Amino acid sequence: MRLPSVEYLEPRNVKEALEMLAGHAGQAAVLAGGTDLIVRMKQRLVEPAFLVSLKHLNTLNYIRREKSLIVIGAVTPLISLLESELIKAHFPALAKAVRLIGAPSIQHFRGTIGGNLCLQTRCLFYNQSAFWRSGRAPCHKDQGKICYAEENSDRCRSANQSDGACALMGLGARVVLNSTKGGRSLPIEEFFTGRGERPLAAEPDELVTEIRLPVPGEGEGNSFQKLTYRSAIDYALVSATAWLAVKKGKISGARLVIGGAGASPLLLKEASEKLVGKDVRDKHAVEEAAKQARNHASAFMVDNLGSTLEYRKKMSAVMAKRAVEEALERCLGNSAPGGRKG
Amino acid sequence: MEKTYTLIGKSVPRVDSLSKVTGEAQFTGDLLFPRMLVGRVKRSPLAHARILHVDTSRAERLKGVKAVITGKDTAGVKWGVFGYTQDMELLPRDKVRYFGEEIAAVAAVDEETAMEALNLITLDLEELPAVYDPFESMTSKGPLIHEGYPSNINVHVKIDVGDIEKGFKESTLVREDTFTAAEDSYFMGEPYAAVARFDDAGNLEMWMPNAGPHMKSKPMANVLQMPLHKVRVRKIAIGGAFGGRSEISPADFICALLAKKSGRPVKIVYTREENSVNVRMGHALVTTIKTGVDSKGRVLARDITCYMDGGAYSSTGPIATSVPFLCMEQAYRLDNVRYNGYRVFTNKPVRGMIRMHGRSFACGVDLQLDLLGKELGIDPVTMRLVNARKAGDTTPTGSYVASCGLTECIEKAVEKANWKEKRGKLPAWRGIGIGINSVQTGFPLGIRGGSQAFIKFNEDGGVTLISGVVDNGQGNDNMLVQVVAEELGLEMSDITLLSADTEMTPNDPGSYSMVTTFAGGNAARLAAVDARNKLFEIAAKAMEANPDDLVLENKKIFVAGSPDRSLPLTKVVRMGLIQGRPVSGEGHYAPKVDQRREWVKNPKGQLSEAFSFGATIAEVEVDPETGTVKVLEVTAAQDVGRAINPMVVESQFEGSVSMGGQGGMLTEYHFWDKGRCLNPSQLEYKVPLAADMPKINSILVESHDPAGPYGAKEAGMSIAMSAAQAYATAIADAIGVTITDFPMTPDKVLAAIESKKQKG
Amino acid sequence: MPREFCAGRPERLKGSDRMKKIPLMLNVNGEEHDVSVSPNRTLLEVLREDLQRTGTKESCGEGVCGSCTVLLNGFPIRSCLTLAAEVQGGEITTVEGLREEEGRLDLLQQSFIDHGAVQCGFCIPGMLMSARAFLNRNPNPSEDDIRKGISGNVCRCTGYSKIVDAIMDVAKRSQSRG
Repeated sequence: MRLPSVEYLEPRNVKEALEMLAGHAGQAAVLAGGTDLIVRMKQRLVEPAFLVSLKHLNTLNYIRREKSLIVIGAVTPLISLLESELIKAHFPALAKAVRLIGAPSIQHFRGTIGGNLCLQTRCLFYNQSAFWRSGRAPCHKDQGKICYAEENSDRCRSANQSDGACALMGLGARVVLNSTKGGRSLPIEEFFTGRGERPLAAEPDELVTEIRLPVPGEGEGNSFQKLTYRSAIDYALVSATAWLAVKKGKISGARLVIGGAGASPLLLKEASEKLVGKDVRDKHAVEEAAKQARNHASAFMVDNLGSTLEYRKKMSAVMAKRAVEEALERCLGNSAPGGRKG
Repeated sequence: MEKTYTLIGKSVPRVDSLSKVTGEAQFTGDLLFPRMLVGRVKRSPLAHARILHVDTSRAERLKGVKAVITGKDTAGVKWGVFGYTQDMELLPRDKVRYFGEEIAAVAAVDEETAMEALNLITLDLEELPAVYDPFESMTSKGPLIHEGYPSNINVHVKIDVGDIEKGFKESTLVREDTFTAAEDSYFMGEPYAAVARFDDAGNLEMWMPNAGPHMKSKPMANVLQMPLHKVRVRKIAIGGAFGGRSEISPADFICALLAKKSGRPVKIVYTREENSVNVRMGHALVTTIKTGVDSKGRVLARDITCYMDGGAYSSTGPIATSVPFLCMEQAYRLDNVRYNGYRVFTNKPVRGMIRMHGRSFACGVDLQLDLLGKELGIDPVTMRLVNARKAGDTTPTGSYVASCGLTECIEKAVEKANWKEKRGKLPAWRGIGIGINSVQTGFPLGIRGGSQAFIKFNEDGGVTLISGVVDNGQGNDNMLVQVVAEELGLEMSDITLLSADTEMTPNDPGSYSMVTTFAGGNAARLAAVDARNKLFEIAAKAMEANPDDLVLENKKIFVAGSPDRSLPLTKVVRMGLIQGRPVSGEGHYAPKVDQRREWVKNPKGQLSEAFSFGATIAEVEVDPETGTVKVLEVTAAQDVGRAINPMVVESQFEGSVSMGGQGGMLTEYHFWDKGRCLNPSQLEYKVPLAADMPKINSILVESHDPAGPYGAKEAGMSIAMSAAQAYATAIADAIGVTITDFPMTPDKVLAAIESKKQKG
Repeated sequence: MPREFCAGRPERLKGSDRMKKIPLMLNVNGEEHDVSVSPNRTLLEVLREDLQRTGTKESCGEGVCGSCTVLLNGFPIRSCLTLAAEVQGGEITTVEGLREEEGRLDLLQQSFIDHGAVQCGFCIPGMLMSARAFLNRNPNPSEDDIRKGISGNVCRCTGYSKIVDAIMDVAKRSQSRG
């Protein structure tokens, strides 16, 4: 499969990259690892006139602690997160999510955390070759007016299947964007528009440069769960991240996210609230939270990711439950820091 | 008395491995010829349509385009695997019958130009109503997919042996169950490709992955209306066949036409999507099985009806419709059996033979035996043992079974898998199940059923073996060399193999009927024996000995028992040359089958000269919250007659477990948006990965078939069948519910668990 | 109702507007190559077509199957998803470059032969590259580690058993040599 024609630009530093994005706004795509973009170009889902390569932007490759934050450069390769003691110690959810992205020889060395955060939304009826999509009207995400996943839908129903995005949202990340006009920092929930047609809030001239995570305190724990048919390669049928804080035997804070349902990872406020204030041994509260997770996710899910819709809806409750249970264990120090379970 | 062999039965490394680990081995897509053009195919964006007009004028004018073809460039010859299934024009002129069917093709100087040219071809199509499943198709009031096939029924295989009504009447217990399965697919590593080159004398050379080059050259000669000797299908490394790649593909025909029209070599390489939907895939099947057993669990009658989704063309329809039944009738004894197999056209990609022949059929038979046994209070192993095929039997459709180690396979698998300690005693959500297989070693192929081989000697004692046998990756090249080295007392590195080239190598039936070792191996062995006899004649004179007393070992000829008085092989070869009688060898073998047997018109008589048999046991653990199945261990015991190379045979077992069991029963299926396949890619059609696979125990059982070379039979397809069956029965054991729709993906397992909970 | 069908989408730059080629210096298996290619060429295409090194294969074209795996500075990448322009300045190793200095096979290559890990061979170049990179980083793996390490390489023939055995054997022998 040949790529469409494109011009290749090789900025030597961040400043040059931003100038190129500004100069070609709307016609340029950012090339990090390329494991998503290149596939989409081969399928003619996107045909940018310019590719702005990030290969020389070493200044955006870092993981370090800055006071109460852990900051990660957007061009940091996934392998660096896997090997980082900081990430393993504080964010086992993120470590596991990154480990489960694709497979080692696909993404871990070329893929970047910024690239995974910016993974385009997906749908079986959209992520197909140009030929497959020919012979009928294009869908919403394909600049058309129809949805093939859900009849009569007036909007795109593609889903966010990024493991990194699901974990980062659960961990309360902030996303830093830069352009020639300056920089801004968004809570991750605002980085996603919730619209499958254009799921990221980044402007055409903006580059994601950094991801910031609050360092968890004592009594806090986080977990990531991913459901797939195979042990690697697959995108999540449904995923879940849970961050919990425990004080004096009670859950003092909770943040639940479901991935694979809707164009943004879903931040489940109501489901999280079902846990706050509850005793750590309250199994019923966990079940209620899981049930509410399912209700929330089900409102967004359509039959467009494989398996069956009914199954994915059911599994959103199971993944949420398992994420909460493991996060709780970590809050209470029952499992090793950065330990992998499930 | 067991003869000792130097090489036979030894796990020697394969002769073709070196070039594959260095990357030197050339597959079709690797070929680079001077001035070679890139070929690409324009495909139908509709599933069923009349072709009104194809405008190629703009494409023809594009700089860099050297040939454009449509159905008008063909001779209008319709091709089919059988004389009575000639329904495929390869480049249709009137109608397209599935989404993606070929309509036109271009050859250009590079891929960018070729793709641009495709975009410049305009298609005027009149859409016709399309049907997407067999039942919809049979009852459709719309235009038939092919004229002459009422109700769109392509093939009806009807078999009726004994008296099934009587059998049911005498049964203690009768059950009827329906099992369904979606399509499965080959997903060979190598995507389909074709290279074609004409010379100035009009001879055509072609390279393409194939399961028998002679199965390609003759049909190509027919559709191109050329004499057979001018069509040469060449040897090439092939990346898997698994029951496919046995028929000519539109890509072959299109590539040749483009090469002819442009006057230059042309290469077509399929994308992964084309390799999924524009070649073949397995049939979706709906199988209804009614079985009656006596109080001891013996099957007294069985009545099966099968509806198969054949896709848009006949392909190997008669074979694919028959094989699921035949595997069952070989594996299990029964006197009264009826089968009605219907292959139905639909407007979907074409289906063909595949290694796991009929998931719903095969798994249905075994699952039902377990259910019957449960009601009778008989355990699954006993149910298999009392019905197991035995040597000396004749199958319902009239095949005599000369060698059969099935009972031994069952017993050995049961022991190795610790069945008795486990069945019924495992912790919750764990299960163990058994599946039984039998696969044909070849079937009647008329004038192409036999294999022939030639041997020539070099003056330094090295040998060239010439054979029509093809290697798809399973190790056939190595088998030939191992056999000839054994018979001629040579090292394997002394032998050059020239194979699978229709200009030079004699006929061979191809690999897709599991007959390569049996026919091709026998032919090579006999050629070596012939050469050896000639060597002995010459040596006997020189040594003043009786040729019957001579042996050939380690490149020396001597009287048996007196190795000190020997003649080097090289010397005898040279003596032959001096004497004007150069030593060569010829061997041929055609399995003794009933050539009057025909899949549809006359489905009785000797089908194969030998059959392989086996039992596979799988142990699984189910996650009751997610329905995910983890397979802990698989034990496969197979009667392969004789393992010529145990390491190679075991590899077939392991690959079979992966394809038939792990993938075939847990994750592999195609799903559709009407005529469009939603998962043609490696991402969404999920074949097993290394970390998905269980521990596999391989047990080689050797019944020493009287006709097979060294007793060898078949080993490449069988376990794909029984692994699937074992996975199915094991999951049923683990969750206490029999799932009847395959594959058993987690959603179905979970639904089954929940339905049982509800029933209480 | 007749319908007319033409293109998917017409290619952006046609004929005379073809992309300007860019000069690249690629270091492949220790050898430097000057090539002039369109910027949209993948490393896989350049290796197979421009440099005529056909050992690296294309099976899916979308980075899933692993047949196109090569090493960039020792770590495994998908050459079908990597632009040639992206890897200028790096050291690329393909299966053709696995052999050791004196032409001896890499231990993994020999082990694959000896263990019967090669059937059709199409996945093998990519599998070897992944295995080589994996062992370089994980010299003392468990069987589970190996299976995970090669989980980005699809093999349809072998069921992976003998591939895993072959890799484990090299790991063990390398360990015992110290």
